[in-house]
Amino acid sequence: MPPKKPNIAVVYFPGNNCEEESLRAVLASGMDGKIVRWNQRKGIEKYDGFVIPGGWAYEDRIRAGVIAAKDPVFEIIKKEASGMKPVLGICNGAQALVECGMIPGLKNKVEMALAPNKNPFVSGYYCTWVNVRNVQDKGRCAFTSFTEKDGIVPMPIAHGEGRYVTKDRELLDKLVKNKQIIFRYSTKEGKIEDGFPTNPNGAMYGIAAICNKKGNVMAIMPHPERASFIRQLPGSAELKNKFAGSIEGMEGAAPARQLFNSMKKYVEEEIL
Amino acid sequence: MGGVDTDLIDIKGVPDNALRDFLKKNAVSLSVFEARKVVELLGRNPTLTEIYIFNTQWSEHSSYKSSRAVLKALLPTQAPNVILGPVEDSGIVELGYINRERYGIVVSHESHNHPSQVVPYEGAATGVGGIIRDVLCMGAKVIATADPLRFGNPNGQNKNKVKYIANEVINGIAGYGNAVGIPNICGDVYFNDSFDENCLVNVVCLGILKEKDVIHSYAPKNAEGFDIIVVGKATDNSGFGGAAFASLILDEKDRENNRGAVQVPDPFLKNVIIRASYAVFEEARKQGIGLGFKDMGAGGIMCSTSELCSGSNFGADIDLSKVNVSMKGLPPYIIACSETQERFTWISPPQFTKTLLKIYNEDFELPSISIGAGAFVVGKVTGQQDYVLRHEGKIVCDAPVKSVTEGIRYERRKTAPKRNFKEPNLKETDDYNRALLSVLQHPNVASKAKAYKHYDTSVMGNAVVETGYADAGVIKAVEGSNFGVALKTDCNPMYCRIDPYWGAVNAVAESMRNVAAVGAVPSALTDCLNYGNPEKPEAFYDFYEGVRGIADAAKNLYYKGTKNPVPVISGNVSFYNESASGKSVDPSPVIACIGVLKDYSKAITMKLKKENTNLLLVGDRKDELGGSVYYEVNNEVGSVVPIIDFEKERNMIYAVVDAISAGLLLSCHDISDGGLAATISEMVLGGDADGEIGAEISLDFTNLRAYKALFSQTSGFVFEVDEKNVQRLHNLFKFYKLNLIKIGSTAGRNILITKDGKQIINLPISKLKEAWTTGFAEALE
Repeated sequence: MPPKKPNIAVVYFPGNNCEEESLRAVLASGMDGKIVRWNQRKGIEKYDGFVIPGGWAYEDRIRAGVIAAKDPVFEIIKKEASGMKPVLGICNGAQALVECGMIPGLKNKVEMALAPNKNPFVSGYYCTWVNVRNVQDKGRCAFTSFTEKDGIVPMPIAHGEGRYVTKDRELLDKLVKNKQIIFRYSTKEGKIEDGFPTNPNGAMYGIAAICNKKGNVMAIMPHPERASFIRQLPGSAELKNKFAGSIEGMEGAAPARQLFNSMKKYVEEEIL
Repeated sequence: MGGVDTDLIDIKGVPDNALRDFLKKNAVSLSVFEARKVVELLGRNPTLTEIYIFNTQWSEHSSYKSSRAVLKALLPTQAPNVILGPVEDSGIVELGYINRERYGIVVSHESHNHPSQVVPYEGAATGVGGIIRDVLCMGAKVIATADPLRFGNPNGQNKNKVKYIANEVINGIAGYGNAVGIPNICGDVYFNDSFDENCLVNVVCLGILKEKDVIHSYAPKNAEGFDIIVVGKATDNSGFGGAAFASLILDEKDRENNRGAVQVPDPFLKNVIIRASYAVFEEARKQGIGLGFKDMGAGGIMCSTSELCSGSNFGADIDLSKVNVSMKGLPPYIIACSETQERFTWISPPQFTKTLLKIYNEDFELPSISIGAGAFVVGKVTGQQDYVLRHEGKIVCDAPVKSVTEGIRYERRKTAPKRNFKEPNLKETDDYNRALLSVLQHPNVASKAKAYKHYDTSVMGNAVVETGYADAGVIKAVEGSNFGVALKTDCNPMYCRIDPYWGAVNAVAESMRNVAAVGAVPSALTDCLNYGNPEKPEAFYDFYEGVRGIADAAKNLYYKGTKNPVPVISGNVSFYNESASGKSVDPSPVIACIGVLKDYSKAITMKLKKENTNLLLVGDRKDELGGSVYYEVNNEVGSVVPIIDFEKERNMIYAVVDAISAGLLLSCHDISDGGLAATISEMVLGGDADGEIGAEISLDFTNLRAYKALFSQTSGFVFEVDEKNVQRLHNLFKFYKLNLIKIGSTAGRNILITKDGKQIINLPISKLKEAWTTGFAEALE
């Protein structure tokens, strides 16, 4: 009998809209998975890991991610995460992870916020391609086992509130010291710059993704699930032009697939 | 007809003048003639509810009373690749066969002009919401939207209002489309003063399904006794009279009064309804259940339910008291005709009703998503030909169902308006660098990134060519297959101002060229016909000429490999686009072209890929600068617009598709606004304006004066081609009897253009970028 594949729940809260492509990326990396509605929480603890997809959970009422973070299903996800299961929050999912205190997860309360973008070109919602750089060692968290230190991953962003901020001055130092800041916005050559357009939303320290101390939970604002196949890369990407005319090439893995491949490896080694 | 239990409104006994006053006082748009016609059809005076029903159904917006005869007589709507023509909420064109199963692309194209002028954010948002419903209700998976927009002059008399409306419309499109999670894959934006008091907000939506899975906008066979189910947001009084409103001329004074007619968007609820509806589709297919499904748009419950039943020769018996409402004491005519958003009607066999209600009300918990939302049985399909509405135990409407749905027809007079356009005699400029930069900076040419970066262009993860990177957007159509769908919208308002016929022909041809430029076969068209007041013979003439132009182009630019037309499968007519002062917008037959790629991996973009490659031109440059951007920046209009030679045009389109399919082109861009010089500049810059490869061009291939060669907008394409493929490309174009001209090569970091050995343009990429990326942004600021 072949070994059991990791089985991932992609949790749909009302208003989310990235659940299908998130599941597609999960499946493409060789895991099993299913879209699970917020009201199907019975038995959700049996899954080996969780993806909280992007969108507008509960209409982003009050603030992005706040209501989703209070949904009873999050209590279960928290509990499973404390048992070391991996949780990946993407965009709105990242906002929910911050709002429920799982990220950065130092005090078990809300320590940061994802504030409205600061962007001199387009105010409000902004959708574009960016590059992020893994600033930690390979394998620092459950999602970077295949991403070299200083490796660059192109992904799109699509959000209006993606600016990591905190009032707590010491928090940033702690996050740096704890090696919790995983991805920072960079140029395609890997240079980290504070200004627009390299940093598309004005996030402090150019933060694109943060993990918890133990490294099994990560909140990422860009969308790895929209950058997991070569065909999804932007028209200007050299990697994509190289595969023009080849379906096989186009359906091949783009760099952001590494995050899901890493999730699979992590579950196989730590959970199953 | 049958008896009713409520008071009748006396029409019969009232003289014309008093009747006219009565109708006006009650905000009824029916003419005296039409009100008397209602009495004739019913065989008695109508109830108030019946008056409002006919008021809505006989509005221009719902009945196409002025346009239908022209559309029917002229437009080619049938072809072998048509699965469904323009008869239901959306048209369907063949995508192709996957595992021996025929797949269709569902397309709908509408306008939301008048609401967007009054409350631009909500107007644009509900436009997106409505078009998504049209596609969803065919049983399709919704995969993309597009937005053609026309705004007033951003530097003119009304610039503040124009900028406000433009920004709010863009925000509204983003606010709705992003939240439901449908990618926006293309669009176009034009500014000119004819749109100062009446913007155009059109919207296109695409879906995908198997042909066998189509759910029609009429009740299935043997539907007598089936349940009529209303699903979605609780009905309120928003949008009451919306259809009639769309057919009124906007008067600034009435702005406040009209506000109530605009609907309120709720993309959050829609997001959940879409997913719940997919679950219903899946369950019904599994159980083999036949259903009817229809969007609730103009005319609300009344229009949706009557058309579902009438469409298959049934009647309906509906209890309006069973409709979920969010306001107390709504009168029956408002419940029946309100255009509350985010609602649909199902026709379901009773044995499936429980399953359907459970999916919406329990699995997806609509009642807890939005107060009062849900799915509710409100009536039955009947075997009679009556359309019966009850309210609180009383019959408030009992009309022959066909009279409600068949509408009325008018034959409008047409008279050619005077058009006094003349060609200017421009001097050669001594600064072509400046000329090119001013063309690139014109908001009609400049990069539209500031608009589309507001839109989610990558959600769903299937975009292959996102907005801005090429002449058309491309998405992967179906998981597990290689098909791609391309889409682009077009219509140059200045061409139509000068010549409504050739303007329409150009709109069709350009949309096809754009789709071909990414390698897709132009397969179907939709038209959204935005014109002035059809009761004015001059405006109706322009409309007629526009339809004639679309029809001629569609019939003569054959579907590739056949002599069939590229069919017009969906569309919409929006009349009364004029301001209170009686000034009509430029005739605007906005065309969307849907293209099919058998292999999406072959799609190409416009950006130059390599240094030292060949730049080739197809499409001789002609002295056709009427309506061009170059004339506009020189404060001229001109009179000679591009004329399309159908045989050459279709050969050009086929040759480009073949060339891309054979992998012979590195990049491709069609020639349109700004002419050859803008085309080459955009290829140098690329969609993100981050290009680093320059171009060297010689204009010695033509005898035209330099400004005409550079800026004429005659149709054509520029290709980037590797040396090794040049001969094959020449052979291919020879087969299509076309002349392929080498005009230069990719080189350096500048754009360098020479004529007769003299350098006339020499600009670094950074200068091009500055002009091209600021023009549109400044128009919005």
